[in-house]
Amino acid sequence: MELLVCIKQVPDDTVNVTMGADGAPKLDDIAPVVNAFDTYALEMAARFKEANGGSVTVLTIGGEGAVPALRSCLSVGADRACRVEEASVCDPQGTAYLLSQASKKAGEQPFDVIFCGSESTDAASGQVGAQLAETLGLPVITNVLALEPKDGGISAKQETEDGYRVVEAACPCVVTIVKPDYEPRYPSIKSKMAARKMPVAVLTAADAQADASKFGPEAAKVQRAAISAPPQRQSGVKIQEKEAAEAVRRAMEIMVGQKLI
Amino acid sequence: MNYQTLSPELIQQLSAIAPGRVFTGSDINEDYAHDEMPIYGKSVPEAVVEAASTEEIAAVMKLCNENRIPVTPRGAGTGLVGGAVPICGGVLLVTTRMNQILSYDVENFTVTVQPGVLLNTLAEDSASKGLLYPPDPGEKFATLGGNVSTNAGGMRAVKYGCTRDYVKAMTVVLPTGEIIHLGSSVSKTSSGYSLLNLMIGSEGTLGVITELTLKLIPQPKETISLIIPYPDMESCIATVPAFFMHHLNPQALEFMGKDIVISSEAYVGKQVFPRKIDGVEAEAYLLVTFDGNDADELDAVIEKASEVVLEAGAIDVLVADTPALKRDAWAARSSFLEAIMADTKLLDECDVVVPVTQIAPFLGYVESLEETVGLKVRSFGHAGDGNLHIYCCSNDLEEAEFLPRAEKFMEAVYIKATELGGQVSGEHGIGRGKVPFLAKSVGDVNMRLMEEIKKVFDPNLILNPGKVCYKL
Repeated sequence: MELLVCIKQVPDDTVNVTMGADGAPKLDDIAPVVNAFDTYALEMAARFKEANGGSVTVLTIGGEGAVPALRSCLSVGADRACRVEEASVCDPQGTAYLLSQASKKAGEQPFDVIFCGSESTDAASGQVGAQLAETLGLPVITNVLALEPKDGGISAKQETEDGYRVVEAACPCVVTIVKPDYEPRYPSIKSKMAARKMPVAVLTAADAQADASKFGPEAAKVQRAAISAPPQRQSGVKIQEKEAAEAVRRAMEIMVGQKLI
Repeated sequence: MNYQTLSPELIQQLSAIAPGRVFTGSDINEDYAHDEMPIYGKSVPEAVVEAASTEEIAAVMKLCNENRIPVTPRGAGTGLVGGAVPICGGVLLVTTRMNQILSYDVENFTVTVQPGVLLNTLAEDSASKGLLYPPDPGEKFATLGGNVSTNAGGMRAVKYGCTRDYVKAMTVVLPTGEIIHLGSSVSKTSSGYSLLNLMIGSEGTLGVITELTLKLIPQPKETISLIIPYPDMESCIATVPAFFMHHLNPQALEFMGKDIVISSEAYVGKQVFPRKIDGVEAEAYLLVTFDGNDADELDAVIEKASEVVLEAGAIDVLVADTPALKRDAWAARSSFLEAIMADTKLLDECDVVVPVTQIAPFLGYVESLEETVGLKVRSFGHAGDGNLHIYCCSNDLEEAEFLPRAEKFMEAVYIKATELGGQVSGEHGIGRGKVPFLAKSVGDVNMRLMEEIKKVFDPNLILNPGKVCYKL
């Protein structure tokens, strides 16, 4: 099967982000990395290809700065990489539209399964995968934990609160990926060196026959009104006993344990 | 040595020195009775003083010296040799309230801190200023005072050296209560005996450190780590000198066996080290980090390193080149001790250091002791500097059966290490647990010199008795 994985670069989510005086997050010194959910999607696609044949293409929207991220994907299982040279994409719907157009040009053959991370670790709208499917008129299975081919389509384990349910879809389709029970692979030195020499295809919006009025700033259907830092976590211990007497007993225990009384 | 016990009057005087911060009897937190290696015994002090200043510590020391009350200095209590355990009772002098980073001198690359600042706190704070405090012991929540007192090493020692190399100056309270200042922020000195260096690694037996000026370096802009699996431990260790022969200069160079990696990954809940590559089982690994200021330059270094290790028998080379991959690769390594402790009822540990070329034969010998003494042996360590962490463990034995076996094991290990030109401790110190082994390793004359030095600093032998060279 021909597999496409859409990736996004996000600020390294292990770094504590602080807010600048202008009310925006200070991101200048934070290294961009491939969104964690997209790395799971790529690993799942790579395993799917290794088990069932086919090829994996990674696609992103961004300038030259996105090339290292795409090369890192090429070193861990992707066969081809493509970026859409476009800086101003308005909102998740605009992103989905541009990706949908680019997906028609990014591969040598039409894609059978399009993988997206279930959400990004920065904006976390969780919309792009579903909207991409909508724009392309394809079925979508969200929150996928595992995937296998079945009767020319796919069978997926979709995460639920208590476990998973099995959902099937015909190909082509879109899947959004959550954390599976394995980790993304490490590149080997050989695959990393090979990835350095692999080409990264570039598409402009015009190449993709994308209409700027559908993804540019004026196309925005939602606007970010404000952004604020999360409240500081309160220090202390939460006493959760429901009965008053139990709660007092617990509080006394804690204070005695800490030699406070 | 006959020490006095703390009378109510003395406790009252201590309370006057440190109001509200003197604890006695059942008010003493039980954690103060031990460090993180309880096999060397627990001991509750008669009083705990949580000191807040150099002057308070000076007053406490003066009072205790005049009344022959033993005093044991303690930081965060993360030691592994019983060094901060008050085995003679008396006063436990805790420095964790003295936890302020006092000032940076960014032009001279120094920082001045109180002794209770945690290593992790300084690491994060200096990183936010683009600076690096290079010593990197595994225990990030130890105090800097404790790190200096044990000359802590850690994973970056292979490139940057140990804590000793980063101490420029310090303020010390002597057992008599006198306050002295040692060292300065200058780059070189040839000014008499280095009391500064004598104090570093003296494990709180010569004085109490109350302020430190430490050296920093500019933070390297780029780091990259390699996971290198091998089919056996011998070829893994045999590669180590090749890094240096080829002018590769790793920031960290750690070795580990398959068993401990499996345990630690189970403990952390994440598997990243490959078990089988192209049909070959990995039995041992090197985990290496390189640093630099230029990504392309670093890429060339890892390519060269890969060439060297693959030629030397490595199965593959995996590259941790993103923050997440680096974090996950090192998470398992950083949790070895916790993983061993989590699945072991009784254990004893040593951190001998041997010449790098002797690591493989030494480990072979240590493993052969498993059968001889009837204890499970686990090991890992700093391949780049020959510092090994070796554990003998049991889940079946009672403590009374375990202790003599552990002693037999340790004795054999230290004799072998000495034979190979090694030292008793690379970074944990001697504390209480390793005193007999130090005496055997360094010999009578060296021990006598250490004992005499101890008496010069501490004529009444009140400071941290029973540790390092002063046997009770």
